[in-house]
Amino acid sequence: MSRTLRDVLLGVAAAALLAAALTSTYLLDVAAYAGVLAVFVLAVSVTFGQLGYVSFGHAAFLGLGAYTVGVLVTRYGWNYWACLPLGLLPGLLLGGLIGVVSARLSGAYFAIATLVVAEILVLLVMNWVDVTRGPMGLMVNAAPLPLPDWLGWNAQQGYLFVVGASLAVVFVLLRNLRDSATGRAWTAIREAPALAESLGVASARSRVLNVALSGAVASFAGGLLIPKVFVLSPSLLGVGYSATGILGVILGGKATLVGPMLGGMLFAVIPEWLRFLGDLNFAAFAVLLLVVVRVLPGGLVGWLAARPALARRLAARSARDWPAPAPVAPRTPRQATVLELAGASRHFKGLKAVQDVSFAVRAGEIVGLIGPNGAGKTTLLSMLSGFLPPSAGSIRGFGRDIAHQAPHRVARLGVVRSFQQTALCAGQTVAMNMAIASHMHRPAGLAGALLRTRAWRERERERMAHALGCLAEVGLLARRDELAANLPYGEQKLLGVAMALAAGPDVLLLDEPAAGLNHVEATRLAGVLSGLRDKGFTLVVVDHNLKMLMALVDRVVVLHHGVKIADGTPQAVARMPAVVDAYLGGAHAQQQDAAEVPA
Amino acid sequence: MSEVLLQQLLNGLSVGFGYALIALGLTLAFGVLHIINFGHGEVVMLGALTVVLATQRLHLPYLAAVPLAMAVGALAGWLFDALAVSPLLRRTDGRTDILLTTFAVGVLVNQAVLSVWGPAPARVDGLAGRIDLAGVGLTAQRLFVIGASIAALALLDQLARRTRFGVEMRALAQSEHAARVVGIDVRSVGTRAFVLAAAVGGLGGALLAPIASYSPMLGQAVLIKAFVIVVLGGLGSAGGAVLCALGVGVAEALLGLAMEEGLAAMTVYSLMLVVLLVRPQGLAGGAR
Repeated sequence: MSRTLRDVLLGVAAAALLAAALTSTYLLDVAAYAGVLAVFVLAVSVTFGQLGYVSFGHAAFLGLGAYTVGVLVTRYGWNYWACLPLGLLPGLLLGGLIGVVSARLSGAYFAIATLVVAEILVLLVMNWVDVTRGPMGLMVNAAPLPLPDWLGWNAQQGYLFVVGASLAVVFVLLRNLRDSATGRAWTAIREAPALAESLGVASARSRVLNVALSGAVASFAGGLLIPKVFVLSPSLLGVGYSATGILGVILGGKATLVGPMLGGMLFAVIPEWLRFLGDLNFAAFAVLLLVVVRVLPGGLVGWLAARPALARRLAARSARDWPAPAPVAPRTPRQATVLELAGASRHFKGLKAVQDVSFAVRAGEIVGLIGPNGAGKTTLLSMLSGFLPPSAGSIRGFGRDIAHQAPHRVARLGVVRSFQQTALCAGQTVAMNMAIASHMHRPAGLAGALLRTRAWRERERERMAHALGCLAEVGLLARRDELAANLPYGEQKLLGVAMALAAGPDVLLLDEPAAGLNHVEATRLAGVLSGLRDKGFTLVVVDHNLKMLMALVDRVVVLHHGVKIADGTPQAVARMPAVVDAYLGGAHAQQQDAAEVPA
Repeated sequence: MSEVLLQQLLNGLSVGFGYALIALGLTLAFGVLHIINFGHGEVVMLGALTVVLATQRLHLPYLAAVPLAMAVGALAGWLFDALAVSPLLRRTDGRTDILLTTFAVGVLVNQAVLSVWGPAPARVDGLAGRIDLAGVGLTAQRLFVIGASIAALALLDQLARRTRFGVEMRALAQSEHAARVVGIDVRSVGTRAFVLAAAVGGLGGALLAPIASYSPMLGQAVLIKAFVIVVLGGLGSAGGAVLCALGVGVAEALLGLAMEEGLAAMTVYSLMLVVLLVRPQGLAGGAR
């Protein structure tokens, strides 16, 4: 039996047992509420925990789902239990809309957009009195589930069962999603957004999907809430529920899914304990939030997981049996010329970082891109990889215009860059980083990931073999279970190269891969790079380690003040007076001359 | 009819100037520290509350209560900074955490006010008298809001351009790293900028209190409006915030002629979403 089916069945059985065991009306009520809040807080954790975006308006989804189901029941006389799954849809749509509107921008915009949308919906519910009955509230009679009669349960027991079973399904599906390429893309976007794009993750789309899914689950929770609250009022969409969502995630631990689930349940229980505080319990929530964020950023589950006894057990469990690394397959050139720049320029206001640069890169060669600091090398690399559109000129990759393509599209075309400053998901293991980097390797569908089908697991295993093969190529296989942040600097840079490689490119653009490496490490890197060329990869390497670079490359392009001043074999270029002047700092007049030396 | 329109235009403009100060406080904190203060609305509420208490309990004249409200706003800003901003700025995902901590301190402020002074709204008498011109009237209070706001905006502009603190603030806004390298005490400049932002917010609350009346729940409503304004203007852009604040004030007043207040607000808020969709950098802003 697959893990997915087993865990869902376990959850449903637990819900049935709990429903059968509880008889007290009060306890049944609290337990059902705890289940609904757990589903809701899990929804919030999809955006907040997985993507790192704070939403101040998730109550909008909750209320939207509740009112949609409520209106279907009261106005159209539909059966509540039949409408319940439909409660997903409005949240999915609204989430998609909010995602499209704000998720391309920073998290600050998302926080604001969610708050404003929730306010718009509150105003809508208050003013559309015909349908929602406005501030008076909409009374919804949910007929009891037929199931309880057969089992001798009362309506409340039936309700608790449905809530518990829904929670089990939601939890397992979200867990499956987190452990798939989709969830890993969210992790990458959260921890290193530029890196995610460079590895072929379509981050805007990935964010929209995240918010839409989160909205769908939250809105489902809203429908589920109806038998508990009985009367729907605009306060369902208010800041109270939104705050509960955030707090539940923070308190439980935003890096996990168990945490938010427990956090949500706590929020059904804590107010019961805090009843003695009366009106002050909202203040108590605020104090709790402040204290947890400042003192316990990992939440309760994060804190528990860091206890030595538990940490050892978790580490033992996570050391999986990895598939055997698959060696990096040789590349066969698709075209003779892989990259072509013609008159490419990039200006930042007055600063001309790159001016009228033209050259071509042929398949299977290593091109060194050198020049003094500020010559425009990194700018040029960013232009080649889609991170900076050129101000003028054209850039073609494999014959196609890539000048104004998004980085992930350029990556999908087979041109992948690395970064000058190490870009990693520092909080993840090396193996996880490699899994993230293999995003484009045999992409699987969402349905397969949600259900963990056999075909999906097969692909995932093959993907890991590919990723670990790339790791082995740079000689870091033994480090796979360590946290990326704990690697020494040189190995972090090598990991960066391995990650770019795992994205499956034909052309690698490496930005100072040897910076900060000692002699031994730089030699190792040079070995890795020439090995890649022998396998048919094309490389463009920016570096200041000229000794290593000149011995490695087939051709050198020299930039100075944004202008190409030389292009040729390392031996020829090293003798050019213009290059010598640029590096040793000739008189200003000579620099002017240098700019005019034909390449 | 045109007189009604003109009247609403002037009324909207005066409210818009009040919004401008409130939104400026928000966008200033974002521009300099790159953080969003989710408790900013409560600072504005404190400004309005100060005016209520000073005029009704201490029997101070309104004009004397206004600087007091600024001081209370500044004090609240210092409290927010000490509890919710400074300790978290250096964390890796500190800016996300600050959304939460400022929200939490805001709730605490709100709950404290509720438990001490209760939930009752209160009216504040501003400056008395009105001026009539060709059938269109403007109360002295509304004129004062416009005048005081323009003066405050001009002062802030000079502060940012001419003083050492202003230059340091602008340096910090461009690059924290570079500011640190050239020897600017970024922590202290950050704190002072945050306190200044809160004082401006308090002033906004004090100016609007006689027009819009005070309620302890004012913070929430004002915060949403200020968010709409700063997003419309482009987060971090001061000029954009002022222009869009005036626009929102006028739009609300004019829409108020045609529809209920709630629907008018809904329309303005929805506009923000449309702008985010077609011009995410804001109406007035360049790329940022």
